[in-house]
Amino acid sequence: MNTTVVESWIEGPLRQFLDDAGVELALLLHPSGQVLAQHGFARSVDVMSACALAAGIHATSGELGRMVDDKPFRGLHHVGATRQIFVAEARSPRGAYIFLTVFGSESSIGLVRLYFDELVKGLTVAAPPEGPAPEPALAENFERDLNRNLAFLFGRA
Amino acid sequence: MAGRAALMSTPFTAMLQTLSRQRGVTAALVVSESDGIVIDSNMHIGQSGDKVAALAASLYKKARLSARAAGMGAVSFMQLEAPNGRLCAVGSGELVLVVVAATAVNVGLVRVDLLRAAVELAEIAKRGGAR
Repeated sequence: MNTTVVESWIEGPLRQFLDDAGVELALLLHPSGQVLAQHGFARSVDVMSACALAAGIHATSGELGRMVDDKPFRGLHHVGATRQIFVAEARSPRGAYIFLTVFGSESSIGLVRLYFDELVKGLTVAAPPEGPAPEPALAENFERDLNRNLAFLFGRA
Repeated sequence: MAGRAALMSTPFTAMLQTLSRQRGVTAALVVSESDGIVIDSNMHIGQSGDKVAALAASLYKKARLSARAAGMGAVSFMQLEAPNGRLCAVGSGELVLVVVAATAVNVGLVRVDLLRAAVELAEIAKRGGAR
């Protein structure tokens, strides 16, 4: 399975998560929907769609959480017939990211949650101590940045 | 012991209390095998039930599948021995009963209690108590 990252410091913690949790697909993205790392996807168009949907899910569940509990929900777990999806916010010194993973019967939500916590800790340790945090995505730059990251991940940079 | 039992009672409470009363037992948990999530537990304060549950359920599931693949039939009792303790588990349907204990625990007694509890687990699951 292929694993590619836009920023190299993400690779170590992500690979550790993949080894431990035994998931099929994984995505790390900016809340705007721009991809930072992927595992298991074969086509850039699938990554683009998954990122857009994950960002939408995150924004929606965050708002629902604020309405219901005065604070955003931090994670979402959905069980399908053969696969399950887990979406959660991964906070790091570089800012908040969204993490999405898909897993089957080889793993479990308990394992995914356990190793997701380890992933967040790993990202916190691995994040570069210096340098500006990623700039918020602007509408005029969004498509350019998205295409640049997808090209980077799928070898067309 | 954590004060959960004082707050609420579940179909598993009595069974977990019986297991936890054994000398050397530090935690007893009922875990969903497919989800690796704690359904009920009785454990010492400070222990991480979520971690133990997720990993023990995964281990038990793999042991069960390995035994089946090797033509050995169903797993009746699983024991993991480590330098600082033991982990014992029995399964019944979708549920796994996990006991964490000190090295010096009487494994024979734990085994008898776990096998007895597995029968009880099956009855609870049949009545729908696990839902």
